[in-house]
Amino acid sequence: MVMQLSNSATAPKNLDAIFAALADPTRRAILTRLASGEAGVNELAEPFKMSQPAVSKHLKVLERAGLVERAIDKQRRPARLKAKPMAAAVSWLEDFREFWSSSFDQLDDLLETLKQADMKEPPNE
Amino acid sequence: MSELPTYVLEREFDAPRELVWRTWTEADLLSHWYGPGVETVIHQLDVAPGGVWLNEMKWGETSNFERMEYIEVEPPARLVWLHSIANAEWEAAANPMMPDWPRVLLTTVTFAEKDGKTLLKLIWQPHNASPAELACFAAAMAGMDKGWVSGMDMLAEMLADMQS
Repeated sequence: MVMQLSNSATAPKNLDAIFAALADPTRRAILTRLASGEAGVNELAEPFKMSQPAVSKHLKVLERAGLVERAIDKQRRPARLKAKPMAAAVSWLEDFREFWSSSFDQLDDLLETLKQADMKEPPNE
Repeated sequence: MSELPTYVLEREFDAPRELVWRTWTEADLLSHWYGPGVETVIHQLDVAPGGVWLNEMKWGETSNFERMEYIEVEPPARLVWLHSIANAEWEAAANPMMPDWPRVLLTTVTFAEKDGKTLLKLIWQPHNASPAELACFAAAMAGMDKGWVSGMDMLAEMLADMQS
């Protein structure tokens, strides 16, 4: 049902993995946190009241999906959001929403035309 | 059975219900509005339980095919169909961009009349979906509804700009 109008050429092949990663609310929260800047596992664990291993596990899923990258040159290995795959997932959803809102706008216009046509015709009976 | 992920879209149309119903069930009207800015060709439309709607959307050289099979038809109040992306032979197929997107979505459309206007409700649920399909759909819907998309939209744009 979803169009591949805008970005079929540029979309990453792993949208599936991205959506699977996004299926978990904790991971979405981690991404939202990373949106405001990179953070280490400690910093991420704290607000979620989670153990560091649990956070690391979530980060691995996000990393595999290409949504997050970890610095390798520092002890604390801060995680950082990767914008392009995220943008691809968002734009896929935007296409989905756009499909229906644009179609419904067109339906609005059609209904207007039909109503006016109805008024011009003499009433039945 | 656990609850299925569901997506609901509502829209009010300034027209009586019978008229709105016609735009969903008559091929020449349906092809007029379905599909944004593309040429929509309806190859078959049999709005009756067991009947199908075979839909092609064209833009440029490309075509998207969809196959819908009606399950319930209650004029002018309710339409239920199974909605699939199809190949050119009208067989249900996976979404090329997202193989885990549910192959079949149970689509319910209800038409309610209120003061000469029509309140339309569109409901999607995955149909006979695998766990991966359910997860994919749930994640996408969580994004569209109230969640991560609104926050991520601007952010993703901003970061993409910074990286490019």
